[in-house]
Amino acid sequence: MKPKLILILTLIVLLPIGALGWLGLRMASQEREIVENRFREALAGRLRDINATIIRAVEKRETELLRLLDRDSYDAAELREVVRKSPFIHAIFVLDPSGNRQHPPPDGPLTDNEKEFLERSGQIWRDKQVFFTTSESVGKSSSHGWYTWYWGNGANLLFWLRDASGRVIGAEYDRSRMLSDVVGELPNSDPSDPNLQRGRIALTGGDGLPIYQWGTYEPAGAEEPRASLELNHPLDSLSLLYFAPAVDLAGTFGRGTLFNLAMGIIALMLALVGLATYLYRENTREMREAAERVSFVNQVSHELKTPLTNIRMYAELLQQNVPENDAKLTQQLRVIVSESQRLSRLIGNVLTFARKQNDRLALHSVPGNVDQCIQSVLDYFEVVLRSRGVKIIFNAGANVTVTFDRDALEQILGNLFSNVEKYAAGGGSMEVTSEQRDSTTTITVRDRGPGIPKGQEASIFRPFHRLSNKLSDGITGTGIGLSIARDLARKHGGDLVVVASETGACFELRIHSPAASNTLKEPTA
Amino acid sequence: MIRRTIRVAVALGAALGMMLAVRQTAQAAEQVKVDVALAKPYMLAGQKQTGYLKVGLTGVPINDVRRTPVNVAIVLDKSGSMQGEKLRKAKEAAIVSIDRLGPNDIVSVIAYDQTVEVLVPATKVSDRNALRASIERLSAGGSTALFAGVSKGASEVRKFLDRGRVNRIILLSDGQANVGPSSPGDLGNLGASLIKEGISVTTLGLGVDYNEDLMVQLARKSDGNHYFIEHTTDLAQRFGYEFDDVLSVVAQEVTVRITCGAGVRPVRVLGREGDITGQTATTYLNQVYGEQEKYVLLEVEVEPQRAGTERSIADVTVGYLNMASKATDRISRSASARFTGSAGQVESSTNAAVMASAIEQVAVERNKVAVALRDQGKIEEARRALLDNAAFLNENAVKYNSKELGEYENKNKKDADSLAPGVWETQRKVIRDEQNARQSQQGQIKK
Repeated sequence: MKPKLILILTLIVLLPIGALGWLGLRMASQEREIVENRFREALAGRLRDINATIIRAVEKRETELLRLLDRDSYDAAELREVVRKSPFIHAIFVLDPSGNRQHPPPDGPLTDNEKEFLERSGQIWRDKQVFFTTSESVGKSSSHGWYTWYWGNGANLLFWLRDASGRVIGAEYDRSRMLSDVVGELPNSDPSDPNLQRGRIALTGGDGLPIYQWGTYEPAGAEEPRASLELNHPLDSLSLLYFAPAVDLAGTFGRGTLFNLAMGIIALMLALVGLATYLYRENTREMREAAERVSFVNQVSHELKTPLTNIRMYAELLQQNVPENDAKLTQQLRVIVSESQRLSRLIGNVLTFARKQNDRLALHSVPGNVDQCIQSVLDYFEVVLRSRGVKIIFNAGANVTVTFDRDALEQILGNLFSNVEKYAAGGGSMEVTSEQRDSTTTITVRDRGPGIPKGQEASIFRPFHRLSNKLSDGITGTGIGLSIARDLARKHGGDLVVVASETGACFELRIHSPAASNTLKEPTA
Repeated sequence: MIRRTIRVAVALGAALGMMLAVRQTAQAAEQVKVDVALAKPYMLAGQKQTGYLKVGLTGVPINDVRRTPVNVAIVLDKSGSMQGEKLRKAKEAAIVSIDRLGPNDIVSVIAYDQTVEVLVPATKVSDRNALRASIERLSAGGSTALFAGVSKGASEVRKFLDRGRVNRIILLSDGQANVGPSSPGDLGNLGASLIKEGISVTTLGLGVDYNEDLMVQLARKSDGNHYFIEHTTDLAQRFGYEFDDVLSVVAQEVTVRITCGAGVRPVRVLGREGDITGQTATTYLNQVYGEQEKYVLLEVEVEPQRAGTERSIADVTVGYLNMASKATDRISRSASARFTGSAGQVESSTNAAVMASAIEQVAVERNKVAVALRDQGKIEEARRALLDNAAFLNENAVKYNSKELGEYENKNKKDADSLAPGVWETQRKVIRDEQNARQSQQGQIKK
């Protein structure tokens, strides 16, 4: 009983908390997702702003390059002077309208820088249509643009411009200088900048390694960025990555919400634990009190048993010695005997019930004749039933010797017959039928009384249950008779059930009763 | 009456203007002394031969009162390896250096690990205590984003970029650049781009773990100085040398244009970058310091000439921004050679100083070849090359009575003894430092 109670109480505490916790966490994770998305969006927005700054700088550079390259003459000395003076231009080349190189001069002396440029840009000269096809694919209207050219350790940028005569002049924007210029546009790492105190933005090249980074947060080796953005053309070989710690999310999500949730769950848990403890204590107290009461009744019953046995014994002795014509005395003695028998049954019931409560109910089967046993119980009841106008019909059909617990069967039948006497005496008859088939004895007790109200067939077997209607009014009883009868029947490997019948009540008792020769042991232990 | 007054005023104004002009030309003439000399003013007739032309540029002693204002960015490495003594000394050196600057100078201080922090944005040196405090709070930790550090230093210098100032980045690093572009080529290109804006990068390599090729390349391409500082205790001194230079600039944006005469072909500029197109060789220097000599050495190939003739070898034009007058000065010189049949006359007339310079530059080239051999693991071949070089230097030191070449001979011998793993790593830094100093005549005080 107690482990079950504890389990139930534990469930009472844990289930609501579990449900609440689950719901809370679900809600939290959904909200977290929303906040996280918003957070990522904010970071991505920041990256877009930075991208815009960089693109503005590139546009400024473009204007500058346009100014330098848009010229009337492509004199080698002048172009060399441009290269020498412009910090951004590493080299300049000019292609005539048919795509042939005009500068650096194909036949004239070259500077070391020009030689090196031609050597390293060899691929472009092999595929010199690149600028013409590029411009065509963009459209004739476009007369200048960027060309990304992968060489050495990354993307190199060429800015080209086509003049009215179709010649193309191009300038190599030195890669180191380009990166340095981009770095120059980006913020410094300022430990006091609240925006970046818990973040890190990195500018990475095609290899994914940082070229420049700022912000005090130090991402772990393989940490995924929270947001990333590829820079616009022509710097599309570069990306911006935003790293931020996860704590940032909890911060925005609201430590408060999580705290409140946790506090709510804890409060609920405390309340439920308190309630469960209270219920448990109440329950155990009642159980203890009940056990004490049962124990008390049990002791009292024991004390009553011995004097009652003596009363019965002497009353029966007296009955034998009464003169046959003294009807009055005979009648008085009969009442004494019958009442003491009833009291014995009652005490027997109480003791059986107590034994069952203590799980000490045991049967002692011995060989015997079932019909004889039934007859002896009927003999006890004959007088009292007859006095109430009940006619006994016994259809004996189990006149064989089998093993069974005689005391138990007597107690079961006593309870059934006593019920007939108490509730169904008005019916005028009680029919008892016995039948032996294989190892099962079936005894049916049928009366013609008012019967058992519909739907109550199961509850009458519950201990302390007495049908509350006119039927039981004014009738004394303990309410444990049927319960004990059924428990004994089940203990005996059978059952006691109510059988549907048109009039009155009909109980069918089955017990396991193997043939005497088969076994002398208890059928069930 | 009015007319008379105007006439007097005009006359006075003209006189004043003339006086100023006279003063200016007087100053201008004094900023850089240009010496053009041939190694052999007499050449052997009737044969094709190699000649050396030296254009020496010597800055006049600086005038303390009218020193050129500077715009310098101090870029400090604060990566983990700088922790402790190194960073403490670096901070000290930076503070001491800033103390030498005046109220017209501009300074910025940048510190980098994997990120870059601008401790002092470009500002006039007025509140020294605040500057000091900003530098003092620096602490070390992290990796080395050298490229970003230089880029940010350049950004700070650019805020006050002015031809009239000495624009310079002073970079201190003790380790390998490991964030961002980090090859000598990448940093060299950045340096080459910065010099076009008039920004030089001086690199100070501290300890024995930095990449000397990268640091030397960055300095050379931007015409800055390079210092190898093996021991932290020398840091303050080298910082001091650098500031000596920075504070003594007398001319900037120096262009040396050498146009060879007929029958003379420019071959190469020794030790420096030079553009040679046709008959013209052009070399650019960012700065000339007071009382220091920088030179441009051109190797030429001379066609055979008849004895007794005199031929123009080259016309030299040196243009520079006069830091006193803020005007561009132009100085022209020319050099010619006489051709003779007498070998004795050729020998006796040889300019020993020019010859020594030429030998020195050739020896540096040979020294570089030896380093390349050692880099390939060919220790024995490198040793032989260095010893050959030492012998070459010895021969010429005697021939031209040059103490300088004798010193370099000994250094080559020492290099030859320091090729074993373990000592080589440090020696390589010494060698690269030495090569660079000789090629750019770093800190060469004119006697």
